[in-house]
Amino acid sequence: MSDEEIKKEEEVGVLEKCEKEKKDYLDGWQRAKADFLNYKKDEGRRLEDMAKFVISGLIQDILPIMDSFDLALGHDLSKESERGVLLIRSQFEDVLKKRGLEQIKTESGDNFNPEVHESIGEVESEHTEGTVAEVVQKGYRFRERVIRPARVRLAKNKK
Amino acid sequence: MSKILGIDLGTTNSAVAVIEAGEPKIIENKEGNRTTPSIVAISKSGDRLVGLLAKRQSVTNPKNTLFSIKRLIGRKFNDSEIKKDREWLPYELKESANGGVEIKMQDKFYRPEEVSAMILQKLKTDAGEKIGEAVNEVVITVPAYFDDAQRKATQAAGEIAGFKVRRILNEPTAAALAYGFNKKKDEQIVVYDFGGGTFDLSVLEVTADTIEVKAVGGDTHLGGDDFDQKIIKWIADEFKKQEGIDLSKDTLALQRLKEAAEKAKHELSTTNETELNLPFITSGDSGPKHLVMRFSRTQLEKLVGDMIDKSIAITKQVVVDSGFKLSDIDEIVLVGGQTRMPAIIEAVRKLFGKEPNRTINPDEVVAIGAAVQAGILQGEVKDILLLDVTPLNLGIETLGSVMTKIIEKNTTVPTAKSQVFSTAADSQTSVEIHVLQGEREMAQDNKTLARFILDGIPPSPRGLPQIEVTFDIDANGVLSVKAKDKATGKEQSVRIEASSSLSKEEIERMKKDAQLHADEDRQKRELVDLRNQADSIIYTSEKSLRDAGEKVDPAMKKDIEEKVEILKKTKDGQNGNEIKSALSNLSSSLQKIGEVLYKQASPEKPEDNNTSSENVKEAEFEEKKDDK
Repeated sequence: MSDEEIKKEEEVGVLEKCEKEKKDYLDGWQRAKADFLNYKKDEGRRLEDMAKFVISGLIQDILPIMDSFDLALGHDLSKESERGVLLIRSQFEDVLKKRGLEQIKTESGDNFNPEVHESIGEVESEHTEGTVAEVVQKGYRFRERVIRPARVRLAKNKK
Repeated sequence: MSKILGIDLGTTNSAVAVIEAGEPKIIENKEGNRTTPSIVAISKSGDRLVGLLAKRQSVTNPKNTLFSIKRLIGRKFNDSEIKKDREWLPYELKESANGGVEIKMQDKFYRPEEVSAMILQKLKTDAGEKIGEAVNEVVITVPAYFDDAQRKATQAAGEIAGFKVRRILNEPTAAALAYGFNKKKDEQIVVYDFGGGTFDLSVLEVTADTIEVKAVGGDTHLGGDDFDQKIIKWIADEFKKQEGIDLSKDTLALQRLKEAAEKAKHELSTTNETELNLPFITSGDSGPKHLVMRFSRTQLEKLVGDMIDKSIAITKQVVVDSGFKLSDIDEIVLVGGQTRMPAIIEAVRKLFGKEPNRTINPDEVVAIGAAVQAGILQGEVKDILLLDVTPLNLGIETLGSVMTKIIEKNTTVPTAKSQVFSTAADSQTSVEIHVLQGEREMAQDNKTLARFILDGIPPSPRGLPQIEVTFDIDANGVLSVKAKDKATGKEQSVRIEASSSLSKEEIERMKKDAQLHADEDRQKRELVDLRNQADSIIYTSEKSLRDAGEKVDPAMKKDIEEKVEILKKTKDGQNGNEIKSALSNLSSSLQKIGEVLYKQASPEKPEDNNTSSENVKEAEFEEKKDDK
């Protein structure tokens, strides 16, 4: 091979290397730009999710207060006091409902469904064994999602 | 190419992550949670349940709810660990034909890998739905102490779930990968993993291209759940002392206690005291009873102190076993939710004399690291796309010798930022741009990168000229600083090649210095800010008095002049409070003058000085002595 041919071959090598680098850089650039555009598109949704998440955290913290109202109403109160507490509770629930909170409807005798129920014990009952015997704490959905299952005791046969 | 999942298959909880746009990201499950309980059950109605749903029925179905399967996988029935675990696990175990373990659920016996496969299967399905494409390859993490049989069994679990298992990765290695420590050659790393049910300590060594586990240790029955139990017991005992009623028999009360205890534990990571408030917790002879008590961080630390001490003792021992000294350890990584507890962070910091790494969510760091490994395998993390960050703050010196940051540390480069400054004195015609790098508040404590002068600014009152300073760092770390007078368009600039050439040690030293002097620096900075405020208000007062001339009542004028004198005297002292009170005295008197002037206001006397300067100056340049 003459010197010229060797030189030519070297040049081809350099050119190939450049071509490859060019491709890599363009790939990287395009990918970065695409990622960025997608990120921008997703950002709206992300913010929405975030807002939802923040509210649902707040609501989760508030649920024990709703429970306390329920517990208070389960005790002997004077008629007017009971009505008062009931009103405060519904005032409170209205606010949360407007934000998307929904009580999970559960009654004694319902089939146990772990998607909306959590069992915390068993109790002797008239109902079929394994079904919900009593609801001890209400469950809630927030915008379709179960944020707290209803806490229930399951029926077991009387011995 | 399809994605590879990274899965942290934990004893109590599991997590899944994947590389998206070059960054690892946790994938939520179908229920919308970032972690999934590692629990499998067959319900009384015969359905197979995995994760949260299985957990929700575990109380009433203990014999058919399988948890802590990771404690059994790959073990022999006759292992001493299994013998111990059999005593407390509520489900039935038996020896399999080959000496392994089988677990009974409903009427059938399963091998642990089959049960783990059910968990993996759920994670796989949920992840596929979330990503929008089926994922068939996976990196699964296991504890560093897992032997060959346990690793093989975990791999088998993955295969039963329909995965191609690309790698079985050590959990501590994953945690180190999540922090990018695979690039730290010849460093020793300690991974302190305080999970819900287990405590693991690992010492790693990073060599040329591998992360090697040098020593492991731990306690398989020490975890955050033990902390919860201690808190619950404490509350129940206190309540018994107060009211004489035992809550431990009442399932609903206990449930509420458990939630309150967890909440209190979390809160005490950020506050010093919390209130436990559970109205109508139970009923006594005299009617309803309420639980109200205060619970402090000190009390919590007293309750669990011995468990933290135990983990620290194990840590010391394992480091000794690894053949290193405590001082040889370069990085400490915290894993597991319990490591959010300040007392744990402090204990670790004290032991090593170093700040542990905890910027990544400790519940997710192992899954994140598994995803990083998956990313390396699928070739997504390409070197040419890796972007650097500036290790230290970059800024300029402004009035009172403080450093004003322009580009904050940890900003990804290339980047450019600009800020508009103004002059500090009337008729100032030049400004000096003193380019600084560092973490400290005062200019002289930072490193000087360059100095240059922009002159030719038309003489005007202080605060009026607009000088735009732009910092631009290119992808190679070359910093260009430009100063431009917006009125004349005149500009001056400098290029600094060496802005990122600080050695690692130098950067570390500067960061440490900043931490060490943080309080003192802040005080100095506050003093300078007060002095600057003082200067500015003195200037305004004198100018107002001059401008107002005869319109101001002589008594009022005298009052202001006196207060200006007082402020002038105090402002160079070291007592911030004195300056503050002198400042507020003067400014209230000044307001009175303002009111008077407004009342007699004529249109040719606008109070232009304050309004115009407020929009422009974020800081002012120091007056140059030699300006002309």
